[in-house]
Amino acid sequence: MLEIKNLCVQLEEEDKKILRGVNLSLEAGKVHAIMGPNGSGKSTLSYVLSGKGGYEVTEGSAHLEGNDILEMEPEERAAAGLFLAFQYPVEIPGVGNMTFLRTAVNSQRKLRGEPEMSAGEFLKVVRAKAKDLKIDADMLKRPVNVGFSGGEKKRNEILQMAMLEPKMCILDETDSGLDVDAMKLVAQGVNALRDGKRTFLVITHYQRLLDHIKPDVVHIMAAGRIIKSGGPELALEVENNGYADLLEETA
Amino acid sequence: MVASSPKLISDRALHDAELISNSGAWAKNARQSASARAQEQGLPQRRDEYWKYTRPDLFVQKNVALIPQARPEISIFADQMKTEIEFKNAKLAADDLPEIDNCKIESLSNACALDLHWVQDIYGKLELAGQNPVKRSLAALNTAMATEGLLVHAKGQVSSPIRIHSVSIGSIDAVIHHVVKVEAGASVTLIETGQYGARSNVVIEVEVADTGSFHHIRIQDGQESHMLTHIFASIGADAKFKSFTLTADCKMTRNECILELVGDNSSVTVAGACLGDSNFHHDDTVFITHDAVNCESRQVFKKVLRNGAVGVFQGKILVKAGAQKTDGYQISQSLLLDEDSQFLAKPELEIYADDVACSHGSTSGAIDEEALFYLRSRGVPEPKAVDLLTLSFIAQAIGEIEDPDLAQAILSYLTDILEAR
Amino acid sequence: MAMDDVQVKDGVDAETVEAVKALSGAYKYGWNTEIEMEYAPKGLSEDIVRLISSKNDEPEWMLDWRLAAYRRWLELIEPDWAMVDYPKIDFQDQYYYARPKSMEEKPKSLDDVDPKLLETYKKLGIPLKEQALLAGVEAPEGERRVAVDAVFDSVSVGTTFQAELMKAGVIFCSISEAIREHPELVRKYLGTVVPVSDNYYATLNCAVFSDGSFVYIPPGVRCPMELSTYFRINAENTGQFERTLIIADKESYVSYLEGCTAPQRDIAQLHAAVVELIALDDAEIKYSTVQNWYPGDENGKGGIYNFVTKRADCRGDRSKVMWTQVETGSAVTWKYPSCVLRGNDSQGEFYSIAIANNMQQADTGTKMVHLGKNTKSRIVSKGISAGKAQNTYRGLVSMHPKAKNSRNFTQCDSLLIGDKCGAHTVPYIEVKNNSSRVEHEATTSKVDDDQLFYCRSRGMGEEDAVALVVNGFCKEVLQALPMEFAMEAQALVAISLEGSVG
Repeated sequence: MLEIKNLCVQLEEEDKKILRGVNLSLEAGKVHAIMGPNGSGKSTLSYVLSGKGGYEVTEGSAHLEGNDILEMEPEERAAAGLFLAFQYPVEIPGVGNMTFLRTAVNSQRKLRGEPEMSAGEFLKVVRAKAKDLKIDADMLKRPVNVGFSGGEKKRNEILQMAMLEPKMCILDETDSGLDVDAMKLVAQGVNALRDGKRTFLVITHYQRLLDHIKPDVVHIMAAGRIIKSGGPELALEVENNGYADLLEETA
Repeated sequence: MVASSPKLISDRALHDAELISNSGAWAKNARQSASARAQEQGLPQRRDEYWKYTRPDLFVQKNVALIPQARPEISIFADQMKTEIEFKNAKLAADDLPEIDNCKIESLSNACALDLHWVQDIYGKLELAGQNPVKRSLAALNTAMATEGLLVHAKGQVSSPIRIHSVSIGSIDAVIHHVVKVEAGASVTLIETGQYGARSNVVIEVEVADTGSFHHIRIQDGQESHMLTHIFASIGADAKFKSFTLTADCKMTRNECILELVGDNSSVTVAGACLGDSNFHHDDTVFITHDAVNCESRQVFKKVLRNGAVGVFQGKILVKAGAQKTDGYQISQSLLLDEDSQFLAKPELEIYADDVACSHGSTSGAIDEEALFYLRSRGVPEPKAVDLLTLSFIAQAIGEIEDPDLAQAILSYLTDILEAR
Repeated sequence: MAMDDVQVKDGVDAETVEAVKALSGAYKYGWNTEIEMEYAPKGLSEDIVRLISSKNDEPEWMLDWRLAAYRRWLELIEPDWAMVDYPKIDFQDQYYYARPKSMEEKPKSLDDVDPKLLETYKKLGIPLKEQALLAGVEAPEGERRVAVDAVFDSVSVGTTFQAELMKAGVIFCSISEAIREHPELVRKYLGTVVPVSDNYYATLNCAVFSDGSFVYIPPGVRCPMELSTYFRINAENTGQFERTLIIADKESYVSYLEGCTAPQRDIAQLHAAVVELIALDDAEIKYSTVQNWYPGDENGKGGIYNFVTKRADCRGDRSKVMWTQVETGSAVTWKYPSCVLRGNDSQGEFYSIAIANNMQQADTGTKMVHLGKNTKSRIVSKGISAGKAQNTYRGLVSMHPKAKNSRNFTQCDSLLIGDKCGAHTVPYIEVKNNSSRVEHEATTSKVDDDQLFYCRSRGMGEEDAVALVVNGFCKEVLQALPMEFAMEAQALVAISLEGSVG
């Protein structure tokens, strides 16, 4: 699904290398997790894949289903099936959540050359999906993320994911700032979207999210590289021993 | 300060002799004294502090060749219940004005022919009161030379808005003067759309009695329009005044709003949003005087500018001695969509009472990159994402409109305009 | 501050309230020095300009400069846009030059200075004896030495630590001395920040300035001590026209303090100063003022008319200028310390407390003119009005088309004490490019009743409570002052508000 080869990235403004040759191969239908200490480059990887400005790719490539995504605009990547659940979802005052969602859904459809979703159909689908995530009508009416609690914001991200039906989902520290109940709710939402075809890349600092979203493969990232990959047991190892041992081991 | 300028005055008639000779006693009086006022003040000059950011030239030059162009393809307020009055080339399109409950609507031209009329207590009087401390000679000129206008006397709750829609064909200088009198307990909404002339000078005088309520919505569009508007209002106790203007395109627009809170416990709002493109200069000049206790005033202005458009805001809150418990709020913000556009602001506070809470804020900047990326990462193409963020930016100003249906209509209209550009 | 035998230093961390108690009486500096003076004839003419120039033994070019300014001034009209109201100044009814007779023969060292003058400064709490300070260095920790240029009416009485500063290459002397000793520097920079024809009062200053301070910090030098000038107007009917020029060459740093007082007199006196700062590449200048000219009495009689032009040119890339002012004195203040941010990545800051009580009128603020790329400015203004005073913040933030990626933040708060005073805010914001971000916030309110009540319920008197709350309101600015001044300023805030409640 997603092939990342020797991806090297630095900041555009200053000569600071962040990713130093990341290699990842994500098969369709699998859940991969990336763990790593703060500053290891996890969030940068998610931003670079989704096309945020301010980064310069100096080497390497990233292909989604064989298409070079690094050449695409952010909206083209979205239409190609890439979705990033933000660590800090952005507030957009004055734009209703529904308007936002509908604009996004139909923009993607248009980019893909598909017919737009009618207002009635859209409403039906959104209500059903919102219900599963315990998102009430009021939250749908309110401006995008404005006045949402931390949990509400993350649930709203998952709702967008459900509506946009991407092929490749990246979750950037989705568990940050959530209590256990909120995290469970978010995890349920994600698990409901696991259909054997959709691929997930779950970025997290802690193992606890992985209790709820069971990964197939776990990667450890440090200093801009994947230093170790393994099964779910690797996450437990981190949980028990911290990153220090791993870092030493691979140093 | 407006310096008198004999040179400019001498080659212009500041009144229309025919207009005055055809007027009844009250109107003759009002026009003559306004003419003398304008004469004494002189026309605005570039060096006047009050015209610091807007050149008055285009409003005072004798001959300006303009081709008015309306926006025929987009309609607004089509679904609203309303009383419609049409102006064509600065004249009323029909002789008969609609008759509605709780409200009497007359034409200025008819009233002027009479020797006595209720409007004599307001016409030119509020304009005169608004001449201090800043001279607004173009408003005085309007009082002297206005050819038409509506006199709206609201005596109770007027259920649906009164909409003035004007159409002009050809190059016309329009001088229009409306007067609205809102009695105690009465309420009325006035909507203005279209353009009276390619270049128009419009004055609205509004007297809101105690417990009265006045709402005003104005849509300014048309590519070549030059509009200078003044609202002079006096607001009694426990009363309400709200005005909102949307300006899209146009070439040169200056909207002045001069409000005086004379009764306690009242609230006023002046809000505006503009979408400026290329050869666009838009100026909001607001002067709110608090001369009563426990009143609230709000000024909310949002400007979205691109391709060298210029947005100006001059807003002032004056709190007179004794106007305690005043709550004054003022915000002016601009969103500059490219390197060429400009935002010029002078938000002022002048306060002579201590138990007050007054604030103003002003910001200028480019589009929020973070939000833009968020939208694009959801698949929204960049131009569309910019439009959404433009709407988001303007939303606060539209939020000042009390009637949700009217607010919604303006929002859809804006969305249509954005899509069309 | 009551500092009879104490030099300027940071005191113990005393509570404001105690500071207030320790300081009784309103204006502390209202006494005058009985000293024999020598005056130029009253009035203003080319002859007076020539006389001032010759008194200072100035070279020809300086006289020509002054005369050109004088002729220009005659063509200008007094500005009337500020929100201040005062009787028309009769410029012919002033003395433009006054110096103590004992200063006729220039003293060779501070030891030769007239004891009466030394006594004056001692009484003001300004140490002119280097030993006194040097002795202090070893004592309390963290105490810093301050070099002082003392200006008395039209002349500089003396400058301390000159020799030691010279070792570091720093030139610190009176401007008249600089014109004689360092003409190449003066000619290169004088009038390049505030042009001769800048404004009415600045032009007048160019013609008749008598003394003031000159500072040059050579490249790479961090000035080893704080520099300060203390201005004292003593003579009656005499205008003081000081001129200050500070040049921070590449990669240098200087912190400069300025203090001012004047005797209590019934007749208003004119003070029209010009201060020019130049910061070259990577240089930094901190300029702090505690302006405590005699404000006039509670009926508005007397006081100083303070018409001052202060401007900094951040000429070099990455240069930085920080203005901090505590304006408590003067009957009328007209003052806008500004920054022209010419160099790329240069920074300007303006921190101000302006207190107007009784019949005082203050119209003050700043201009931040962004010309270079990535320039930053910050404005924090706290205005306090009491009695029947009028206090106006007037400011300009201008982003030129080429000042890409620049930033400004302005916070401008006004506090009203009593219902007879006024607080006004007149900001101008001009943004001509879109990569720059400008944010302006302003508030006006009265002293918070809840805060006052809280203080009083803990046993504070009303006046003490007001002083405490006002000091809290000003805190951000007080913190920007050098330690020596912060304490003095804090006490001054309290004193200035005396009689404003109850």
